Amino acid sequence: MSLFQVVPDHSQVNKQEIILSIRDLSVEYQTRRGVLSAIDTLSLDLYKGEVLGLVGESGSGKSTLGKAIMRMIPSPGRITKGQLIFKNQDLMAYDENQMRDVRGKQISMIFQDPMTSLNPVQRIDNHIIEAIRVHEPNISKDEALSRSESLMERLGIGRRRLKEYPHQLSGGMRQRVMIGLALALKANIIIADEATTSLDVIVEAQFLDLLRELKDEFGLTILLVTHNIGIVAELADRVAVMYAGRLAEVANVDELFHNPKHPYTQGLLRSVPNIAMDSQDLYRMDGTPPNLVMPPSGCRFHPRCPHVMDICHQKQPWLVRVDEIGEGDEQVGGYDKHLASCWLHQEYQGATQARRY
Amino acid sequence: MELTFGTLCGGGLLLVGLFLLYAILTGSRSLRNYVITRLLLVVPMIWILLTLVFVMMRILPGDPISTRLKPGTDQATLDRLRERAGLNRPIYEQYWDYITDIAQGDLGVSNNVEQDRPVTDIIGRRFPATIELVMPSILLMLIFGIISGALSANRHKSAMDYSFRISSVVAYAIPIFWLGLMLQIVFARELNLLPVAQRINPQYANEFEHRTNLYVIDTLLAGNWAAFGDVLKHLVLPTVTLTIALVGVFIRLTRSNMIEILQEDYVTASRARGVPERKVVYFHALRNSFIPIMTLIGLQVAVLLAGAVLTETTFSWDGLGKLLRDGIALRDYPVVQGAVVVFAITVGVMSTLTDILYAFIDPRIRF
Amino acid sequence: MATTTAEIFVQPRASLMGTVRKTWRIWGGVSLLIAALLALLYFVLDVEGVKGILQFWAILNVVVTTGLILSSRTVREARRWHGADWWLAMISGLVLVLFITVGIVPEYLAPYVYDEEAGPARLGPREVPASYILITRTELPYENFADIGYDINTGELIERTSNAKSVGAIDEKANRIVGQERDTAGIRVEVNREATGLEPIEALELLSTSDVLAERGRPLVAIVGDETQFRDLVTEYPNLRIVGTVGPTHQGGFLFGTNLLGQDVFSRLIYGTQNTLMIGISAAICSCLLGIPLGLISGYLGGILDRVLSLVMDSLYAFPGLVLAIAIAAVLGPGIGNIILAIAVIYVPTYFRLVRSQTLAIREVAYVEAAKSLGATNPIILIRYVFPNVIASVVVIFSINVADAILTGAGLAFLGLGLPETVPDWGVDLSKGSQFVVGGEWWLVTFPGLAIALLTLCFSMLGESLSEILNPRLNRA
Repeated sequence: MSLFQVVPDHSQVNKQEIILSIRDLSVEYQTRRGVLSAIDTLSLDLYKGEVLGLVGESGSGKSTLGKAIMRMIPSPGRITKGQLIFKNQDLMAYDENQMRDVRGKQISMIFQDPMTSLNPVQRIDNHIIEAIRVHEPNISKDEALSRSESLMERLGIGRRRLKEYPHQLSGGMRQRVMIGLALALKANIIIADEATTSLDVIVEAQFLDLLRELKDEFGLTILLVTHNIGIVAELADRVAVMYAGRLAEVANVDELFHNPKHPYTQGLLRSVPNIAMDSQDLYRMDGTPPNLVMPPSGCRFHPRCPHVMDICHQKQPWLVRVDEIGEGDEQVGGYDKHLASCWLHQEYQGATQARRY
Repeated sequence: MELTFGTLCGGGLLLVGLFLLYAILTGSRSLRNYVITRLLLVVPMIWILLTLVFVMMRILPGDPISTRLKPGTDQATLDRLRERAGLNRPIYEQYWDYITDIAQGDLGVSNNVEQDRPVTDIIGRRFPATIELVMPSILLMLIFGIISGALSANRHKSAMDYSFRISSVVAYAIPIFWLGLMLQIVFARELNLLPVAQRINPQYANEFEHRTNLYVIDTLLAGNWAAFGDVLKHLVLPTVTLTIALVGVFIRLTRSNMIEILQEDYVTASRARGVPERKVVYFHALRNSFIPIMTLIGLQVAVLLAGAVLTETTFSWDGLGKLLRDGIALRDYPVVQGAVVVFAITVGVMSTLTDILYAFIDPRIRF
Repeated sequence: MATTTAEIFVQPRASLMGTVRKTWRIWGGVSLLIAALLALLYFVLDVEGVKGILQFWAILNVVVTTGLILSSRTVREARRWHGADWWLAMISGLVLVLFITVGIVPEYLAPYVYDEEAGPARLGPREVPASYILITRTELPYENFADIGYDINTGELIERTSNAKSVGAIDEKANRIVGQERDTAGIRVEVNREATGLEPIEALELLSTSDVLAERGRPLVAIVGDETQFRDLVTEYPNLRIVGTVGPTHQGGFLFGTNLLGQDVFSRLIYGTQNTLMIGISAAICSCLLGIPLGLISGYLGGILDRVLSLVMDSLYAFPGLVLAIAIAAVLGPGIGNIILAIAVIYVPTYFRLVRSQTLAIREVAYVEAAKSLGATNPIILIRYVFPNVIASVVVIFSINVADAILTGAGLAFLGLGLPETVPDWGVDLSKGSQFVVGGEWWLVTFPGLAIALLTLCFSMLGESLSEILNPRLNRA
């Protein structure tokens, strides 16, 4: 499939250093119909300097995962189990105060709607000054201001603009302010939660360019949460595909686009419209996303899967390596490895040996 | 210059005027336009309210003369009285006289409440009493309402939230005059801690000069501490009554606004930036919830004045509300109309001022 | 009072009518029609015997409706999710049903009729009235207390009782008898207040030696005295006899005491429920009937009409509701209809503003546009599409509004603008009792006030918890 111009540049990525490791994370919501399992025993590694695209349908739990990393799941939801290993420490063991130091300073988040993500009655400069001074109380106001001015200059927002209120800025500008807020504290990881969804196409392109430049300049690690495959193709180094609260597939972006292993990923890629494509070719996936209060047994994708087998109803497949296992290569995951959770491939690997990641 | 209630009000208005002038001169163009437009709108608003009063009192079935007299008065007397009150003239002439008289500050002459005194005179003496009662109540209402509303919203659906909500509903449901009577029974009659009613113990009433008719200020100016203490003691029960009656609604307003604002993205965003929870709630969220609260304070003025009528009656507090009630009891038509007109003007001015203040808090509103 | 409360209960939600099944809607319509017919027969045509049927029908409907609501699936499901709010709504709703039942059949629940003089005046709650005996001279032919006024041209009544309050009670009773007789027969019987300071022995001595036929002064003809003090003493005077007890005796006293006319406060509360509910609910319904159509039309059509209506309604809304009601009630004069009208006027803007703003929002929604493009006429769009969406928020506001209207009605009564005094009403009772607070008759204001507070509390609690349950913005998660 050559629908996308995939030119991943892995030079910035440190393939050895895992900056954030999500281990067996589960998030549940108490709803009026019962317990909703939004994320079920999910494990994922984030390597230093990479852009990891997290894709999936709405309701697949990708935004929840972003919030879970910040430990900001709103009530009535909560993280029921799992670990978040960040710089060799488990964030789950942190108390609220320690966690506050992490938020913004270590891990930052950019939200979907820049219009509503800025306090309407606070001037732009005050947003940045506040963010700086919350984490570095010793810095004076003037110092914080000059720091924010130079930063915003870099982001293409003039000094005059800083004195304005959010409603006076355009959508693209506001989104740049949001990045500025993330950069002001020199965060290591930026979680961009549908950050471009509300922008129009031209602004979105500019924004992605800016993000790419900044990534190299500041050595950022970005978790790009989106439902837009095109953006992932453009910016991401690796892709993780989520379905119904579980990871369906994780791979290099070119590997994933050219050699998708999971039937869901295959369907997802085929359902993206393309100018070069005849509209008849557009694939339409059967069925609807599952109800997560009573998820399907076994593999959660089985009711919609074109390759469904008996075992899919009964047992949950683990995330296992599906690429060629080289000589001396362990079965563990790694930056370059292609993982999928599907019985098609576990059968092939041998279910008993299958190792979960 | 002598300090009287008139000069005090004048001074207050002058300050407000200077502030507005400052805002108009230094503010952005949009703010300037907003303030000027809003100020120009005061006149039609008050005009509509005055017309409303006129319509109510003249056009509704039943007229002030016949309800005032005992049944069985002969038609001739009725007609003579009607003629004297100008009620037989065409309605538009009456309306014209009514508006021009008010514009000239003439509200007629009292019949029965204080015989043959100009109504403006009576109101001039009674209005300060209402101010003295209402001001502390507003302050208390703001303080308690906002704090408990914010606490309640911050812990949505917690035990504290429920207890605040239930007590706010209870405070709201209690008839205000009954509450006043109960407080009188408990604190004045049974415990004998506070005076039952009125603004001041008669023994002090003539010990100081009634310059502003705000007794708190008058006694202070005279340096009469005993009288000052007595005035404060008399203030406690009416103020508490009025505050309780108002605060219930206010807690609910603050709470529901806060709950909505706490769910806004920018609140989540500032949490994600590591801003301490306390600052998120009491700085970001509370400041934003002031915006809707501000307009509601403007509307609360109406509730407050209605509450003042009942509280003043309960505590024999010689203010505007009691004047209205006395006017009705004694069938003194000019006094009733005068008091209602003053209520209308107060409402008009207050809602304008809160609207302008609103523009200062919310940068988005300036058009 | 607080028209502003309505503002915070604005909550968009899909059609409430949809949750009511069609059969029940038809049943509701038919039953309302029957009720209206019965009411017409009873109130307007004064047909005998209809009252019982009307009461039965009303109770039946209250029971059936409550049962239906309680057993509906929506209500049961809401309980699991809204725990505390559900219980609040439930409890206040059930107490309201109780109030309504009391309002429908007061005569079966009250121990006395509201205007019946059930006992001595100003008796405290549960206070047992002293038993009084009437003592007179043997030669005088009195058979009861009232006879004294009939018989002689100049007589004197002396009382001797144990407490000042009861003196007052007897005093009033005597005064009333005298008053009656004076008008018809020109007889003068005075109550000698000074004599009440006498010791029982002295009083009896005076009575026994008093010369009835003598012309000088005013002779003493009878004593009303506390039974415990006088009964034994009387036997020592051969020329005195006990005529009998005065007034009815009440072993348990009165639950909430009696008012200054000797009426039972509790019974008056029971009877007053009807009027209080009637004022509150009728006023709210009247406001709805005016405010909702105006809001719908104004919001839907827009233009000049909308501008003018909005301006007028906003001004009305900004005006202190009670003051407005006072002015209207003062002009209209007393009477239940006038009071309802005065209160209804001040709540029209509440509905108008709510309905108008929602109509404006719904007007722009896609399905209304779609209906328009299919050629639906304005009335059809208003009734079929806009109205059902507005009605859910109206239900919540209505509940709060009834509470407001009851409070305003009570406030009017307190200011002397309520119902005529012959009608039992909580506000009027409270207002009359408030003059005696300083004197210590606390029960005269406490119980009517509690009744008002409880009723308004139930209505506003119901509205409050309903809004919490129905408002999706408050339960987004």
